[in-house]
Amino acid sequence: MSDCETLVNPSPEVKVSAKARGGVINPMYDCQPAGAQYAGIGVTDCIPLVHGGQGCSMFVRLLFAQHFKENFDIASTSLHEESAVFGGVRRVEEGVMVLAKRYPELRVIPIITTCSTEVIGDDIEGTIRSCQKALKAEFPERELYLAPVHTPSFKGSQVTGYSECVLSMFKTIAKEKTQPNGKLNIFPGWVNPGDVILLKRYMKEMGVDAKIFMDTENFDSPMMPDKAVEVQGQTTVEDIMDSANALATFALARYEGGTTGAWLEKTFEVPNHLMSTPYGIANTDALLRKISEVTGKPIPESLVRERGIALDALADLAHMFFANKKVAIYGHPDLVIGLAEFCLEVELEPVLLLIGDDQGSKYKKDPRIKALQDKVHFDMEVVHNADLWELESRITKGELKVDLIMGHSKGRYIAIYNNIPMVRVGFPTFDRAGLYRKPTMGYQGAMELAENIANTLFAHMEYTKDKEWILNTW
Amino acid sequence: MTAEALTDKVDDLYGYVQERCLWHFSSRSWDRQENIDGVLAKAGDMLTGREPVLESPNDRLQFAEAKSMVEDFRERFPWLREAGDEEIRQLLDGLKERLVDIAITQSHNRELKHHLY
Amino acid sequence: MPMVLLKCDKDIPEREKHIYLKAPDEDTREYLPIANAATIPGTLSERGCAFCGAKLVIGGVLKDTIQMIHGPIGCAYDTWHTKRYPTDNGHFNMKYVWSTDMKESHIVFGGEKRLEQSMNEAFDEMPEVKRMIVYTTCPTALIGDDIKAVAKKVMKDRPDVDVFTVECPGFSGVSQSKGHHVLNIGWVNEKVGTLEPEITSEYTMNFIGDFNIQGDTQLLQTYWDRLGIQVIGHFTGNANYDDLRKMHRAKLNVVNCARSSGYIANELKKQYGIPRLDIDSWGFSYMAEGVRKICAFFGIEERGEQLIAEEEAKWKPKLDWYKERLKGKKMAIWTGGPRLWHWTKSVEDDLGIKVVAMSSKFGHEEDFEKVIARGQEGTYYIDDGNELEFFEIIDLVKPDVIFTGPRVGELVKKLHIPYVNGHGYHNGPYMGFEGFVNLARDTYNAVYNPLAGLAGVDIRVPEQVAPILLREAA
Ligand code: SF4
Ligand code: SF4
Repeated sequence: MSDCETLVNPSPEVKVSAKARGGVINPMYDCQPAGAQYAGIGVTDCIPLVHGGQGCSMFVRLLFAQHFKENFDIASTSLHEESAVFGGVRRVEEGVMVLAKRYPELRVIPIITTCSTEVIGDDIEGTIRSCQKALKAEFPERELYLAPVHTPSFKGSQVTGYSECVLSMFKTIAKEKTQPNGKLNIFPGWVNPGDVILLKRYMKEMGVDAKIFMDTENFDSPMMPDKAVEVQGQTTVEDIMDSANALATFALARYEGGTTGAWLEKTFEVPNHLMSTPYGIANTDALLRKISEVTGKPIPESLVRERGIALDALADLAHMFFANKKVAIYGHPDLVIGLAEFCLEVELEPVLLLIGDDQGSKYKKDPRIKALQDKVHFDMEVVHNADLWELESRITKGELKVDLIMGHSKGRYIAIYNNIPMVRVGFPTFDRAGLYRKPTMGYQGAMELAENIANTLFAHMEYTKDKEWILNTW
Repeated sequence: MTAEALTDKVDDLYGYVQERCLWHFSSRSWDRQENIDGVLAKAGDMLTGREPVLESPNDRLQFAEAKSMVEDFRERFPWLREAGDEEIRQLLDGLKERLVDIAITQSHNRELKHHLY
Repeated sequence: MPMVLLKCDKDIPEREKHIYLKAPDEDTREYLPIANAATIPGTLSERGCAFCGAKLVIGGVLKDTIQMIHGPIGCAYDTWHTKRYPTDNGHFNMKYVWSTDMKESHIVFGGEKRLEQSMNEAFDEMPEVKRMIVYTTCPTALIGDDIKAVAKKVMKDRPDVDVFTVECPGFSGVSQSKGHHVLNIGWVNEKVGTLEPEITSEYTMNFIGDFNIQGDTQLLQTYWDRLGIQVIGHFTGNANYDDLRKMHRAKLNVVNCARSSGYIANELKKQYGIPRLDIDSWGFSYMAEGVRKICAFFGIEERGEQLIAEEEAKWKPKLDWYKERLKGKKMAIWTGGPRLWHWTKSVEDDLGIKVVAMSSKFGHEEDFEKVIARGQEGTYYIDDGNELEFFEIIDLVKPDVIFTGPRVGELVKKLHIPYVNGHGYHNGPYMGFEGFVNLARDTYNAVYNPLAGLAGVDIRVPEQVAPILLREAA
């Protein structure tokens, strides 16, 4: 356990800057097409077609399998040398037809570009038009949505790629307003099935009819007696079509799906509420209150109780075990910012936040980061365009001392080799069992995360024989 | 020995090489031929009681390959012990013919003729 | 009947040329699946890309070498945390990956400056590391960056470093295989012969085509040590960069993986007259045979016999215990290529298992000649198999266990078929005598796993109960 901080920092500061190096050692995020693929698999009867070399999709499938312990269907145009030179649109056309013929239930194919096909400059929109003609000739009765997703990997990251694909699928499928459906569109961002299940439950308890985009509940899928394979997203074409009829949109992640909320507002006048991502108690409070306000449905007793149970659990941990502990957090921007806010609620001190892509100008303007300035009583650094070496080298050079690391599995060796307790959170978390099933959002998520942190610290105290006796009685 | 008996015995030897050996499936026609010729020549020496020449590194390699094979032949095919030199020669010629046929002459492998590795 | 058009392939009839069902009295003079040919777009093939064949499979194994991937972030992210090849220096190779993190401006104006900067940064950040491999990727190849020139400049500026360059973007070739080739040939032409080894034994060899998966190399090394054979270059399991510059001084090349590394063995034979000995290091009787051949080459047969006797005494009873229980089980193998022919006969001879279907991602026709020569009748031999084909084949052959990667493993789990990781292993090493017992044990534990039986039970049907599986203490 760290020494008690007794000195008062007279002018605590939040410093926001990009990493100084140009190259990357140990990236935090994958490239744009990876994020686009993740969005695509969230839709029922949808197989993303990645237009590029085979590696751009094969490894991403492996990555998803590592995290979810499930197999997802993603296709490739298998770009080879001659297409790289002479253009690859033929391979898109062929890929679409092969998918359409061999997968009769298929309804959506996001066509996801990669850095190579963007450099070549393949005309995806034009190709989609010719594909549609060919499809109409072959399957006159069938409607297949082909969404153009431009995700050159020399821009943005898996985060922007996710957002881009969600937006493109909506632009392709959503229809004009008809009958108001009284529903909410909820864009939680790139989250685990555990969070989707939690949000669905909250809406049910509030009596609010809502659609989660993307509904990934089935990414945790069963072994069934009839051997059914049902690993796919549950967001349907109809759900997307109907989104313009919603009462309102709630975008819970500014960088992951937030743009689609804004687009629905601009195009179909569906009011968009961009919320702070509901990590921690206060953010969840704000979300529920806003939903209550928009829908007119009261917040039910059950959620008041759940909030109370969470607070009751957190109170056992915060000032005894968490206070003054320094934390480094890395991962997706909405997650990192939200977790920093959560940390402050439980008296943890998030001294270093790492966000991993080139969208620095956006992060600098993020009101949540600005607001942190007023909340911290210690110096905090936010590094964008960061890599994991930024964290590791600060630790190994002795510039940074942290008591806890929060992030995904790609940073596991920093924790292991520097003997720092680490809580896995975000994507991917392949080196811990079952995390995709657990919520991080909401009251329950905050409570389970805090308990995971506590148990991780406890286990560390025991292994390192550091005040392990304190738990002699608790 | 009748032709059929010879064929049966060559079948046995051929079956062994196909199942256990890799040297007749090297990368190009020319090195397949080199291996087949070399290993079977060394095997012939060993089976007919001649000292195999072990001058070049490649001699040693073919000897090593042949040695394992000959030991297994002797263990698996007791009839080999009774075979005279002439029969051994016939058997190995038959085996070579079969190996060249499958691995070179009638192979559908499109890479066998490439001039580079 | 022998070449097979599966039902799922009726719309892509060219697939018939890639799937063979071996019938009595047939051989490869009549039927040989076409292999190493372009993949049909949209088929959900299992293939990766050429870059991965170079970086992930071969170069990235080296334990003292920076892997600088010149391209956008994805290619680096994706070829990191996907392999299990430890080293005896703390797994430097698994802990890090490096990227030049190309951005749009580099695509437009060229990325050579960025590469140079990233290389210098990497050496500065890790001053104890002096070796590097630089790889191109799809976009940097398309824009034509001259990575060789940059490497030369960095070597001139930093006389103590050595850099090797690999130019095989993902789109070159049809699979990983092209990358193996480019790296092999580049290395032998540019790096072999640039350093002299210290010779410590009159028996010297290179061991080629083994990547220390779960310690394979380190296990086999104990044999070479006992035999008194000096391994000069181990291509590339647990190897140092400089070891592999000395390969020209070995007396013998022993090749395990002929597909990924046969090229360098061939070139070493052509250029330096070092003979090439192909062995199978998976399998009990094969391993003994390999040891015998190596020892016969050096004229140290007695040492070999002693080693084999010791190992057999120790491991054969265990192997036979498993054989007793695995006899008659049916296995499918869906891996890269060579393991098909390495394993089909060894599991049959050593464990009594029948291999009923095999699919190769990147094998060449040579690999199919080998596996069809060794494999059984009534077995399917598939080139570049895809997902729908797998379902259909499983239905036809009903395997008890499948050796494949984790993603496909997750898929077949839903069909109640256990998988064993045929790439990274479950609990290896799998090579050598001890290794094959490990493989047998993992197969036994997979096949005699009570969960599959429980999964088949529909609890609503009273008469359905899980079959009683008698597991015994191994
Ligand atoms: S960076 Fe480009 S080539 Fe690499 S995986 Fe991503 S899209 Fe593919
Ligand atoms: S053993 Fe298989 S996976 Fe490994 S390099 Fe050879 S072909 Fe590739």
